[in-house]
Amino acid sequence: MSVMGQPPFDAVVAAHHGEIHRYLRRATARASEADDLSQETFLRAYRAYRTLTPEANVRAWLFTIATNLARNHFRSESRRRRAHAEVRATRATAATEGPEHTALYNEARARVEALVARLPQKQRLAFVLRRVHDLDYDTIARSLDCSSESARAHVFQALRKIRVSLDGQELPHQE
Amino acid sequence: MKGKPSQCLEIEPTLAATATGDGDAAAAARVEVHVAVCAPCRAAFARYRDLGRAVAAWGRVPEAPPDAARARLESRLADLRKRTLLYRVFPSPLGDLLIARSEAGVSLVEYLAGGDAGRSRLLRTAGVEAIEDGADVEVLYRELMEYLEHKRTRLEWPLDLRLARSDFHRRVLAATAEIPYGAVMSYAGIACEIGKPAAVRAVAQALRWNPLPIVVPCHRVVGTSGALTGYAGDRVGLKQRLLAVEGVPAVRSRDDFRIPRDAMYVRTPGSTEYCLPSCAWLERIEHPHRVVRFASRASAEAAGLTPCTDCRPDLHPLAR
Repeated sequence: MSVMGQPPFDAVVAAHHGEIHRYLRRATARASEADDLSQETFLRAYRAYRTLTPEANVRAWLFTIATNLARNHFRSESRRRRAHAEVRATRATAATEGPEHTALYNEARARVEALVARLPQKQRLAFVLRRVHDLDYDTIARSLDCSSESARAHVFQALRKIRVSLDGQELPHQE
Repeated sequence: MKGKPSQCLEIEPTLAATATGDGDAAAAARVEVHVAVCAPCRAAFARYRDLGRAVAAWGRVPEAPPDAARARLESRLADLRKRTLLYRVFPSPLGDLLIARSEAGVSLVEYLAGGDAGRSRLLRTAGVEAIEDGADVEVLYRELMEYLEHKRTRLEWPLDLRLARSDFHRRVLAATAEIPYGAVMSYAGIACEIGKPAAVRAVAQALRWNPLPIVVPCHRVVGTSGALTGYAGDRVGLKQRLLAVEGVPAVRSRDDFRIPRDAMYVRTPGSTEYCLPSCAWLERIEHPHRVVRFASRASAEAAGLTPCTDCRPDLHPLAR
């Protein structure tokens, strides 16, 4: 008899860990928490991986697990505030990377990041899932336990808030 | 913000979606019609479009790949894999059985009263991650059923003895695994085999906690007198049935069963032959407990033994 068929879970890690980590980094705004939460995401996924049907969308499923973990993690609002205070404190350093980017460009990016970090949780998560990771609204709705119309509304509210906050400021961009 | 016309308020979500590349063609057409006649919304459209680009740029920020995080995850996963036991509960003629296996091999066969996995010792064992999953243990179950239906005499499974309680228990189990199909040995014999001839009771305890009954055939270990003495707690009836599957008869005697030890063929320690119980050789052996008894010539020969050339069990078979 062969040894237990090695599940291709290693391939799942290889394919998605980077992206899930980046997502959690944006969703939680702290690298250390992204490390812990992405680890927990994959440990949970490993435990449940065998119950997944072959046709399941593994990427969307991982995002759902990660989102749930992020939401639980931030259930304590004070924790979130602490995290955001840290984001603001590190803004200056975040805006000074890569010679190929202009300082202005970096500044715009940093402003977006700071504004995203200040959004209410569901809006922030919906926004990042949609605008950065390009997940479909059904998946976002499942992750956030809401209808896909609400998911769409969360993304719009996030966009609108960021736009209003940025009103009167230039938004330089590179093509 | 001064009161916007309701039409502008209504179209803003669609406008924002379209400007950030998130709208469909019909939405785009509506937005186009509206911004053609509404200057504030035209400006808003441009703002959303710029915002969409800034967000896209933010999303593309090449972050240092989380190598350290990845390495930590892989080490945690490796550990989790090692600790993971996949299990499932199956019906069997002996009652519900839980079968569990690890990456290394089969680690638990458990008689499960009422089929309730919640009562399994798996869930009471520290450091074990139990995951219910049928696919990997289904094959084992089928082979086990074939064994119980007398269609198979060997279960050649890689074993994982992690659930044994000590190295002493593992040695007892390893010695027990050597007893051939259709044969029995005594508790005292196993104690001798592992070099602890006085540890008969400890051997019985080790077999009582055998994590792999049937597979590690503790049912083939009986009392010196031939009494079955015990099995999996108080399930001595199961022991009798398992021995019956292998052609070893056991008759009821009061509240126990007894095998006809004096009417069985005998293999002496280290021998490649089998003898009649009356063979003169048997009186001269050093460790009489270490004999293995076979119910039939067929099972002795299936274990690779040949008839003793002195007592000639082939010419004078035991009456059954």
